Amino acid sequence: MSTGIQIILLVFLIVCALAVSFTKNLFIAVIVFMGYSSIMAVIWLLLESPDLAITEAAVGAGVDSVLFFLTLKKVHYLKGTREG
Amino acid sequence: MGEKKSVWEHLKAWVDGEEVILDADKYIVNRSKREKKNWRRNFSMEYIRGNVKLYRFLSIAISVLFIGIMLSVVNDLPEFGNPANPADNEVMERYLESGIEETGATNFVAGMILDYRAFDTFGEANVLFLAVMCVVLLLKKDQKNYSAKEEQENREDDFFDENEKRPILQIGGKLLAPLIILYGIYVILNGHLSPGGGFSGGTIIGAGLILYASAYGQKKMQTFFTFRTFTLICVGGLLTYCACKSYSFFTGANHVGFEIPKGIPGHILSAGFILPLNICVGLIVACTMYGFYALFTKGDI
Amino acid sequence: MREIIAAIFIIMGIIVFLLSMFGVFRFKYVLNRIHAAALGDTLGLGSIVVGLMILGTDFFAGAKLFLIILFFWLSGPIATHSIAKVEILTNKNYEERVRDK
Repeated sequence: MSTGIQIILLVFLIVCALAVSFTKNLFIAVIVFMGYSSIMAVIWLLLESPDLAITEAAVGAGVDSVLFFLTLKKVHYLKGTREG
Repeated sequence: MGEKKSVWEHLKAWVDGEEVILDADKYIVNRSKREKKNWRRNFSMEYIRGNVKLYRFLSIAISVLFIGIMLSVVNDLPEFGNPANPADNEVMERYLESGIEETGATNFVAGMILDYRAFDTFGEANVLFLAVMCVVLLLKKDQKNYSAKEEQENREDDFFDENEKRPILQIGGKLLAPLIILYGIYVILNGHLSPGGGFSGGTIIGAGLILYASAYGQKKMQTFFTFRTFTLICVGGLLTYCACKSYSFFTGANHVGFEIPKGIPGHILSAGFILPLNICVGLIVACTMYGFYALFTKGDI
Repeated sequence: MREIIAAIFIIMGIIVFLLSMFGVFRFKYVLNRIHAAALGDTLGLGSIVVGLMILGTDFFAGAKLFLIILFFWLSGPIATHSIAKVEILTNKNYEERVRDK
């Protein structure tokens, strides 16, 4: 049962990693990367290392994507912001 | 320049770029031109690229040399996947068998990264500090690297920040941010007893600070978290870490001479230096996370 | 008996999650889509956790699950509200788009 869930999660992980590199839109790439980090956090939890799961969820899905969005806003990429 | 100045004033003027202490131009004019043997031209990249035969020979020779070194190293490695390899049993068994006695931490991971391999963690904390210092160098608001247009944009952002009404986000931030920060502190303080530790708890505290800053704006944040507190906490944490660990490495890595009391494994005040080191790492990571956010949004902490 | 009630709650939560995923992919406009997504976040997760609370016998495990529900019911709607506010603030012709779809 647990291995089945792990296989499904790993397949999702590979799909997310490929999707990040193949999308043209940077906004979509950042959101897919957030999904990648969340799946990775669940996999760390299944591998019995909850400390890494906490760090991955807080850094990968939270702080990292906030920093990416701020960078996209700084370079005037997002629609609706100044000159975007 | 005619007046007499002290050496210190000369030095200060030189740092500000107002006067020249050693007049390099005069020296260049008076210098006799020496006949130079241009060794560099013979071995420059253009010369090698132009000479096709030498280029091919050199590329093949360097590749063969590196392949030889790598293969000779791989030849000496133990067989891959063999359960009798030393890396697969000796280190792990040592950690699992005598970890509690030697470090006093019931969480083996904390005992490993903060006692056996404390220099490694020190390097990681230094890497984080260097990263945030590079961001400060690049993005901090400064009159020299800020154009008038950016200043105007920043003023508009400040106006928007102060005058925008967001009551739902503010109430949510007021309720949630203290709980998130409290949970982070719990994770840091229980680092040697349960899964967690400095890095995990620090990121949680940083996320709580970011939530509070995005709800209440930068100005309210600056009442208790300025650039001065940021540098003080970061540098103080690194120095405390360095002092603790250099003491224990100086005394032979076994705390010879003065034994640090290990306490009873499982209690909150136990495990020697692991608890203060966890607090140092957690403070550094939390400040780094919030520093990244503040520098990316406003260019100022 | 307790397992049956718990199973009903958990299956209801999974169905709500499926509906919200279907809605996220089916709708075309942002405000409709965040409505569907927030449904899964609050009602789906809430009923699943209530099912788990009924299934577990330990009191403190149930209290922790209750805290999880509280956190999600505080944070989820705030995040949804922020996204909707940003959409309305930045998209100038949102009224026409709402009328179109």
